[in-house]
Amino acid sequence: MTRAIHPGRPIAYVLLFAIAALTLVPLIWLIAATVKGPDDLFHYSFFPPLNRFTAHNYQELFSKMPFFRHLANSTFIASTTVVVQLFFSSLAGFALAKYNFKGKNAVMILMLGTMMIPGQVVMAPLYELIYRLGLVDTYPGLIIPGAVSVFGIFLFRQAILQVPNELLDAARIDGCSEFRIYWDVVMPVSRPMIGAFCLISFMGTWNSFLWPQIILHNNARFTLPIALNQLVGLYQQSYGMLMAGTLLSVLPVIILFMLLQKEFVAGLTAGAVKG
Amino acid sequence: MSTQDKVEPTQDKSVASANAVVRRASDHVDDTPPRSRWFALQHRYAPYLFLLPFLIIFATFGIYPIVKSLILSLYATNGPKDQIFVGLSNFRFLLSDPEFHTAVWNTAVFAFWSVFLQLPLALGLAMLLSAKWLKGREFLRLAFFSPHLVGQAFVAVLFMVLFVPQYGLINNGLHAVSPQIPLDMKWLSEAGLVMPALVLTSLWMYVGFNMIYFLAALQAVDRELYEAAMVDGANAWHQFWAVTLPGIRPVAVFVLVTATIGSFQLFELPFIMLNNGGGPNNAGLTIVMYLYRTGFETGDLGYASAIGWTLALGVMAISLIQMRLTGVWKRGGE
Amino acid sequence: MRSFPFGAAALCILALAIISGLCLAFAPAEQHNATLRLWVFAKAHYDTYTKAIPNFERENPGVTVDLQLVSNSSLATRLQSAFLADVDVPDQVEIEISSAGSFFRGPLNEVGFLDLTDRLHQSGLYDKMVQARFAPYTKQGHIFGLPHDVHPVMLAYRRDLFEQAGVDVSKIETWDDFIAAGRRVTIPGKRYMIEMSDNSGTQLEVCLFQHGGGYFDPDGHCILDNEASVQTMLWYVPLVAGKNKIGGDLGSGQILTKAVEDGYFLTLVTPDWRSKSIENDIPRMAGKMALMPFPALTRGGVRTSTWGGTMMGITKHCKNPDMAWKLAQYLYLNKEDLAMRFRENNILPCSREAWEHPSFHEPRAYWSGQPLGELYSKLAPQVPFQYSSPFISTAKGKLSEALVDCVQQYKAQGDAGFEAFVRARLKRSADEVRLRIARNPY
Repeated sequence: MTRAIHPGRPIAYVLLFAIAALTLVPLIWLIAATVKGPDDLFHYSFFPPLNRFTAHNYQELFSKMPFFRHLANSTFIASTTVVVQLFFSSLAGFALAKYNFKGKNAVMILMLGTMMIPGQVVMAPLYELIYRLGLVDTYPGLIIPGAVSVFGIFLFRQAILQVPNELLDAARIDGCSEFRIYWDVVMPVSRPMIGAFCLISFMGTWNSFLWPQIILHNNARFTLPIALNQLVGLYQQSYGMLMAGTLLSVLPVIILFMLLQKEFVAGLTAGAVKG
Repeated sequence: MSTQDKVEPTQDKSVASANAVVRRASDHVDDTPPRSRWFALQHRYAPYLFLLPFLIIFATFGIYPIVKSLILSLYATNGPKDQIFVGLSNFRFLLSDPEFHTAVWNTAVFAFWSVFLQLPLALGLAMLLSAKWLKGREFLRLAFFSPHLVGQAFVAVLFMVLFVPQYGLINNGLHAVSPQIPLDMKWLSEAGLVMPALVLTSLWMYVGFNMIYFLAALQAVDRELYEAAMVDGANAWHQFWAVTLPGIRPVAVFVLVTATIGSFQLFELPFIMLNNGGGPNNAGLTIVMYLYRTGFETGDLGYASAIGWTLALGVMAISLIQMRLTGVWKRGGE
Repeated sequence: MRSFPFGAAALCILALAIISGLCLAFAPAEQHNATLRLWVFAKAHYDTYTKAIPNFERENPGVTVDLQLVSNSSLATRLQSAFLADVDVPDQVEIEISSAGSFFRGPLNEVGFLDLTDRLHQSGLYDKMVQARFAPYTKQGHIFGLPHDVHPVMLAYRRDLFEQAGVDVSKIETWDDFIAAGRRVTIPGKRYMIEMSDNSGTQLEVCLFQHGGGYFDPDGHCILDNEASVQTMLWYVPLVAGKNKIGGDLGSGQILTKAVEDGYFLTLVTPDWRSKSIENDIPRMAGKMALMPFPALTRGGVRTSTWGGTMMGITKHCKNPDMAWKLAQYLYLNKEDLAMRFRENNILPCSREAWEHPSFHEPRAYWSGQPLGELYSKLAPQVPFQYSSPFISTAKGKLSEALVDCVQQYKAQGDAGFEAFVRARLKRSADEVRLRIARNPY
């Protein structure tokens, strides 16, 4: 690029910040909608004057549904799923990356194939299976099928391929067991990818809707998306309350993202770029 | 022999610390012969053991249902309790089912627009964002990416309210920009506007996400290639075609394929935005929504499985075509 | 000290899992081992039953009832999957009229609900109730649901705005009168005479019933393309499209409140249940609203129709069917609570005797002092029949699709060739429904 100020530069800035503003507008509206009373909701485009701020929507929200219980459910299921997925996927990714064994290609092709099949195809037989195992409307029923993350395995495989073989050989020479190598060598090296994976996986489970909708029956076990959808069905009159519920439901993921931003970007792109 | 001689010192901090870990680990291990047989054994079987937990769960909850649903597609059911074998009649009906055709058309249109608007936009933004002189990159990146953090279900609820005619934010915003645009555009209840509404929403959700991929890809392109091109007298446009595009090809293909597969699986967004229905004249009916309706509202799991399988095969075919067209296989794949 | 191999992020998440797990472990879901579990989808019903159930429990010591409110859009799905999985099936459930059909798709002996035909006849309820209301919950002559309501339809209107605009309600008897007045006061984009949709069949269906049409005939054959349907569509579309339209549509939810307050809609199609929603959701219009009977098709014709409906079904999983039957009768027919219930939800019960009760003749302040119950109960005996089928939701969908196409056609070409188009389009819809029925191996 030339040294002189490119005439397009201010245009680029304007464009970028305009698009950024457009992107953020719905979210700002969301936040504003939660503090406006029902009369003001459409009266003010965004934030009302400070003296018209109201906690009414949040009060209604907490009185109409056991929010903290749903929050705990979502947190428990998302975090447990991540931990389980992390362990199983990284192990499997490690196996596929650093070992050559009979059947390796078959397994990989099989996994690749299933990635293309939409989850809805298997909903019905899966539900029947869960039922026969007696796991309908239970936490394990939700977590165990989710413990399989083919995407995660490929992600880890990609990342672990980068780990220099010399490290592994060195450890083996020193008598480390394979599992030790995994635990003490490969995982610490892959921390950025792990951070990325944790975020993606957490987000995916936190926001997942269809499967919990089918599996969970008891209101006490509902996760946030299901509970919110139920709220929408019942209380169409109160947009402010729905927005309050939505905002509180997306906040945890946003906070998590803020904390893990760097790892996320690094990990996500490492997989795609090198491949 | 100590490990220090074997491993070359590298700049990478994480590798260096891993070296330290290896050194520490080996401090705790004795080098005694009786272990070597067990050692060889576990070395040989390790990959299988590592894969085992995954494989068990995958076989039970992944493979088995897939096979079972394939079988189911040959039946008509009233829930899984009651099944009547109908052979290929489900698939034959698919060919003439007007609702299925609508669903396929809608999904294809959605996939087309959302992918072909998203990718250039994401690439363009990424290119702007990766310019060296840019300030405020962190903020911009966060701004563009934030929509992706909001799950589809929540986005649907939010945009349902934003799209409200007469009083909603989107209509009022458009009207303020150009008073020609009527205030009562009924995004979600007019057949011709449902698809644009869905495409717009999905753009909002996913452009930032794909932009991140492109950003990283752009940063990986060798600077020297650009300089060489400039020396050859190439202008910015030529540089783009000759250096940038080929440089980011693997990522671009990855994004293209995943975005396409994702759009074909669209369900939650229209389902919730259109009040658990297909919208006016089924303008928002997608394949997966039709599958859900057939399987879980009407109760015919067999037909639903047939739809699912048709979708899966179609998606696989399209992905393969895309990958071939963009020449991934020619380079030897991964 | 070796740090956690997976890094800080994973450690945090592990910690989250443990903390939230502990929280949940110490606050386990309450196990309701109630005698009867009842699912309802309507908030109004839920509120009413919450008050009525303690009395029932007191009269029947040892019996507990667990009442659950489930969103309507997921009720049918959840019930289906509960039936299929034999798990968590409630003992009793209220089902909406358009979802009821899907539970009757399979063979007769697989219907998840208890056959109530004998109980209905033995208790004499069958004769006391409005017969038309049994039709949607009947399969091959067997009745599976206790109807909750009649749902006669009137029009709610802004009395103050009507007076301002010089519309005299007493002079409006037929639709022609109504449409004439409507054309005078409608300003497209600012004010519509009536809320009538051009993309969903909600109000169209109400008009269809009034015209003597419907989705199915008593034998389950689709009649979407019969003469009554064609005439209804021909009559309806110009009301919501084209230059003489008097109907608008904004969707539901909070915007409807604003629309009525702003005078965007002057009248709303209002069955009895909706009158309560209007009272709850648009409180500021109290005293400014009033009710008028549905305009008739011809002078002296029927001045009502019907919209919606609920049945109470007892599932086959219920271990105490007699107690469940008792509860159903209690909630639907108990005379003492009737007054209280009617005041709470404005819903006319299905039994004719009940309408004699004084609470039905009370004037209502919200409705400018009109005796709501009296108005609705006068119309109730004339409510048209609504026959159902397992394919009722398909049929409803097809009708809406046909409406959208007809509206588009009318907007583009006006009256030219419209009748032929409507006939052909409705025939297509009906054929599609018939195709589905034919495919059903049951």
